[in-house]
Amino acid sequence: MSATRAVLEVRGLRKYFPLRGGLFNRNAGTVRAVDDVSFGIARGETLSLVGESGCGKTTTSRCILRAITPTGGEIRFRSETGDEIDVATLDRKSLRPLRRQMQMIFQDPFSSLNPRMTIAEIIGEPLLVNGMKNTVARNARVAELLELVHLPRAYLNRFPHAFSGGQRQRIGIARALALNPALIVADEPVSALDVSVQAQIVNLLLELQDRLGLAYLFVAHDLSVVKHVSHRVAVMYAGRIVEIAPTAELFTTPRHPYTEALLSAVPVPDPRQRAKRIVLEGEVADPSNPPSGCHFHPRCRYATEACRQTVPDLQEIAPGHAVRCLRATDLSLAGVTATA
Amino acid sequence: MADPILSVRDLQTHFIGDEGVVRAVDGTSFDLSPGQTLGIVGESGCGKSVTARSILRIVERPGRIVGGQILLRRADNSVVDLTQLPPDGAQMRMIRGGEIGLVFQEPMSSLSTFHTIGNQLIEAIRLHAKLSKRAARTRAIELLAMVGIPRPAQRIDAYSFELSGGLRQRVMIALALAAEPRILIADEPTTALDVTTQAQILELIRRLQQERGLAVILITHDMGVIAEMTDHVVVMYLGHEVEKGPVDAIFHAPAHPYTRSLLRSIPSVLAEPRSRLATISGSIPHPFARPPGCPFHPRCPDYMRGTCDKAFPAEVAIGAQHAAACFLHTARATAA
Repeated sequence: MSATRAVLEVRGLRKYFPLRGGLFNRNAGTVRAVDDVSFGIARGETLSLVGESGCGKTTTSRCILRAITPTGGEIRFRSETGDEIDVATLDRKSLRPLRRQMQMIFQDPFSSLNPRMTIAEIIGEPLLVNGMKNTVARNARVAELLELVHLPRAYLNRFPHAFSGGQRQRIGIARALALNPALIVADEPVSALDVSVQAQIVNLLLELQDRLGLAYLFVAHDLSVVKHVSHRVAVMYAGRIVEIAPTAELFTTPRHPYTEALLSAVPVPDPRQRAKRIVLEGEVADPSNPPSGCHFHPRCRYATEACRQTVPDLQEIAPGHAVRCLRATDLSLAGVTATA
Repeated sequence: MADPILSVRDLQTHFIGDEGVVRAVDGTSFDLSPGQTLGIVGESGCGKSVTARSILRIVERPGRIVGGQILLRRADNSVVDLTQLPPDGAQMRMIRGGEIGLVFQEPMSSLSTFHTIGNQLIEAIRLHAKLSKRAARTRAIELLAMVGIPRPAQRIDAYSFELSGGLRQRVMIALALAAEPRILIADEPTTALDVTTQAQILELIRRLQQERGLAVILITHDMGVIAEMTDHVVVMYLGHEVEKGPVDAIFHAPAHPYTRSLLRSIPSVLAEPRSRLATISGSIPHPFARPPGCPFHPRCPDYMRGTCDKAFPAEVAIGAQHAAACFLHTARATAA
């Protein structure tokens, strides 16, 4: 990934939450929700963040949007004019012009649209806030946006309750696109939808990316959906990226034992492919009290004594493929392949 | 195959409200044998959960069973029609939990936060077996160990909110199995869980089934879970059973256009990266605006004008224990 094309460059991102408790609400420790996370996203590219609940994928995306302020690290955003801005340190006022260029698509299409506003008002609101006061011009732009997400113009004056989950998600996408953003952060955008509708939204996201050159940061737990949308995938565990690679490579030749286990756990929709799954024992590591050394070692079937003591670095083992595992080069792990 | 332990015959459960009637389940029939896993699959509003709730007679008002039979073969080989029993009667209360265990999707809201998991388990055990408190507690610890909860002797005094989602779902399964039922109904048991936890829970259900010869009804929207776990599958759409058959036939020789479309539209980890998905046009209609005729016809790629929008197709046998309700096959069956 050439650095010049990158829309977003995250380096050493950290977000720690204080844990309060005990007498007088003293500081009882810290939750290292995001710990030294680095990645870049180019124009027109989708990077997916995957991992289980509590792995820090949503916290990472919220730091990038500056919904929360990171504890440390850099979030460099390249604006359309070519300036580089560090989102991590900007104050609230200077953030405002930046927000047009980074938009968000939410998970729940039922609670993310205001039920008292018409579709025209919902999609037009970001335009109005950013100075497009002329109603005729604004409604023309809203109609254009509806067309972009394949909804009829006639829906302009209806209210959200009249729409199905899939249609609402299209409305949410239209609103996110209103200000021509460069980057869209999509946190589980299809996980609340039925299968037949999910497919429509996945295709729409792919289509819009090709047409508009959008960069997506896609946060998801469903690896099947991730395979259909991503150019690259980053796997997170207990606040850290443990593996990052181009999509095909990550799925066929994972190099981190956690990635292998995660892939193995996905049920394949074919009864002839029932395989012996790697069932991980125990629970996801607690980020307020992570295990020593490699956070994954207590659940890892390949762990050695060294894994208990040494924190592995994220090291590049092939172009664009980095792994945080002491045994990355000596293990031969299984990916997903169809057994004929 | 062994005699079915549960036979559902033309079950109809309707919700009768001021705005109209929602035919949540409209003519479902299937058999369940001991040791078998039956999958019921479909999207929102297809009636899969209402089917499960009907079997247990816990359909909420204004819903009620308006037709059909639910025949349960009891341990003494007598057969009882559950639709004829009063839902709150003593007999139904013994069957619910005693002979048919239930696991819900949301383990947080199905467990009490005021009682320890041990107290809830002990209550469930003593409801169905005459045991002293002390003996029931020992049994509860055994159950927790059986579902793979580490340090069960300590965990028994924990509250549900102190446990992770995966452990809570294990407690739910322990509760469902407390009275040693012969049938387990699991309604989206892993939907709220992470994929590695899901693998643990599915593995647990499989192991318990083998050890105890349980008959399992697994209700899910996830075709991957269906492929992984079940022997037989019922595919539902808008209250109707559109296709049923052995799991291999459903995945490798689907007969109904809905099953075929659904299978094509699911994302797969085996797909090419960035490949478009096949889609089903339109969306699931509102329950009050159900299309006439075959409920799938407005979205169906094989829609035949004048046929599919006029009447509901009868179920046609396709192969061994494989049937589909579609005019494509009615035409073929009458021509042959």
